[in-house]
Amino acid sequence: MTKGLLTTTVGSFAKPEYLQRARNRHASGKVSAAELDRLTLQATKEVIAVQEQLGLDVLVHGEMERGDMVAYFAEHMPGMQTGELVRSYGNRYYHKPIIGGELQWDVPITVATWKYAQSLTKKPVKGMLTGPYTMVEWSFDEHYGSRRDAVLGMAKVLHKEAQALAKAGAKVIQVDEPAIHTRPEEDFDLAVKAMEVVVKGVDAEFHTHICYGDIPRIYPGMLRLPVKQIHLAFKNTNFELLRLFEKVPFDRSKELGLGVIDVHNHNVEAVKEVRDGIRKALKYVPPDRLWIEPDCGLKTRTPEEVRAKLGVMVSARDEVRGAVRA
Amino acid sequence: METTVVGSYPRVSDAPDGQRLRRAVARWERRELSDEDLRKVEVDVMQEVVREQASLGVDIVSDGQVTRYDPISHFAGKLEGFEIGGLLRYFDTNTYYRQPRAKGKVRWTNPITVDDWTTASAATVAPVKAVLIGPYTLAAMSANGASNDLLWDLAGAVGNEVSALAHSGVPRIQIDEPALVRAKALPREFDEMVDTVLEGRRRAQATLFTYFGGVGHLLEDLLALPFDFLGLDLVQGASTIEALRRADVTKPMILGLIDARNTKMEDPKEVAKRALALRDRVPLDRSYLSPSNGLEFLPRAKAREKLKVLVYAAKIVREVGE
Repeated sequence: MTKGLLTTTVGSFAKPEYLQRARNRHASGKVSAAELDRLTLQATKEVIAVQEQLGLDVLVHGEMERGDMVAYFAEHMPGMQTGELVRSYGNRYYHKPIIGGELQWDVPITVATWKYAQSLTKKPVKGMLTGPYTMVEWSFDEHYGSRRDAVLGMAKVLHKEAQALAKAGAKVIQVDEPAIHTRPEEDFDLAVKAMEVVVKGVDAEFHTHICYGDIPRIYPGMLRLPVKQIHLAFKNTNFELLRLFEKVPFDRSKELGLGVIDVHNHNVEAVKEVRDGIRKALKYVPPDRLWIEPDCGLKTRTPEEVRAKLGVMVSARDEVRGAVRA
Repeated sequence: METTVVGSYPRVSDAPDGQRLRRAVARWERRELSDEDLRKVEVDVMQEVVREQASLGVDIVSDGQVTRYDPISHFAGKLEGFEIGGLLRYFDTNTYYRQPRAKGKVRWTNPITVDDWTTASAATVAPVKAVLIGPYTLAAMSANGASNDLLWDLAGAVGNEVSALAHSGVPRIQIDEPALVRAKALPREFDEMVDTVLEGRRRAQATLFTYFGGVGHLLEDLLALPFDFLGLDLVQGASTIEALRRADVTKPMILGLIDARNTKMEDPKEVAKRALALRDRVPLDRSYLSPSNGLEFLPRAKAREKLKVLVYAAKIVREVGE
């Protein structure tokens, strides 16, 4: 097999209807915690099976236990409280947590789920964390009073979680930072520093995922992030974002995660458009440092759409790989 | 010293019936609900929001902007010549707006906010102010940027809306210009643009409000504009307080001293102290106390608590002496 053009996904998968229903019924007290756990594990098993069938290279557990990438950690982290609804845009709302006290780590939050998912496959399963800058930015801080103190406090807690994942055997840990471009001039150094705290001395390969927002304003600054792979959304701009690498080439010591599937669109991409996108990217990054992935988490799609979209992604990758080898 | 809000208010709450507007919009998007039936729910929630502010003791309230998809595209999308595009972050908030792009000359055709103001006013005896997003911010948030032609088009469009509001008897009109916190200086011809915006205001009182940062460097220029009130974010824009201390302001102000972006509750005495520290510089007896920006960045229950703190802080200012 040609080396390179490995495939993975960004983290979340579509929740099957039975799980979504059970989560809602659990919230209103009609389904027990034990029953919800059982269904969560069942759905996780299905997510692993789908990825194996598709032949993806690095798997995820699908985040069947998480409602939201920030709220989930808030529910389990000492110092944080789950919050109430605020609007993000249009008719979209989310529960915005509150940092109400000193952030602490007492027991692993994500390790048991990761272990279960890894027990189902021989392929590597990524440990999935939400980054310190995003965790703080998408919460209310009632305790620290300065963004710097809160972000660095959060980074220390996430470092312990990363260490626990690595100790349990996770070879790859992804730390998502979708809010990293909120204040690019003011705060980028802080976000980089926080990532250094998270990864320092942890024996694992780190990836980060940054999505949407003003990416050009944080490039090439983002190359300072101490991670092996940086994943960005490219399909939603029809690969226009690749132009960034014309002025400043992508770092030779890093891998690029290439988002090739639009996760906010019900239409399943044609193999040709994905294949052409991968070919465009190969002008800037060689295959051994280029990973093929969707633009973002898949939780907003249906399980059927996920299967179809990922199928297209793998076919497109195979076509390009065949040509690269020839 | 009385109290007011800046404009937006949380449209949903965690209470059992607190999400009826969310559900109605979702059904309307799926075409399971007619425009008329959606409007009924909007009106119901708007009137609830207006009464809630008034019952907490706020002197001048707003419609809560509960019908606006976002602060920019609600207005821009109803102007001729604008096309509405993808989502972008709104300043440094966790909220997003759809970015308008001017395809040619941008023109106002029909009143956009008059119905909401009329509906909101009918719900309470408290005065309701009309709040519009200003031409500078509309242009700055559009894909075309603040080009002079677009700015003049938008000054005309906002001016037409001001006229329509004034014609309907609206006594207080506020123009929000948050993008000014990012401006190094006022744009060229800005005072003429303001004249265009306010030309048809009749007897309505006009306020200019800036938020999401400080405007100390622009303060003298902003005070010189022909608005009756100047509203300032003094939390995220705390740096403006220094400029206020150096100035001698005769114009009444709206002092945004309550943090509308954090759930942490202020001590009303501390807020009152901060307002009173300005009493030699600002005519507090004719000024208002307010949150630092719209309240919709907070959950509903926290927004209510913030308004209680606000009303209590203003009471302390009055008792200690303006």
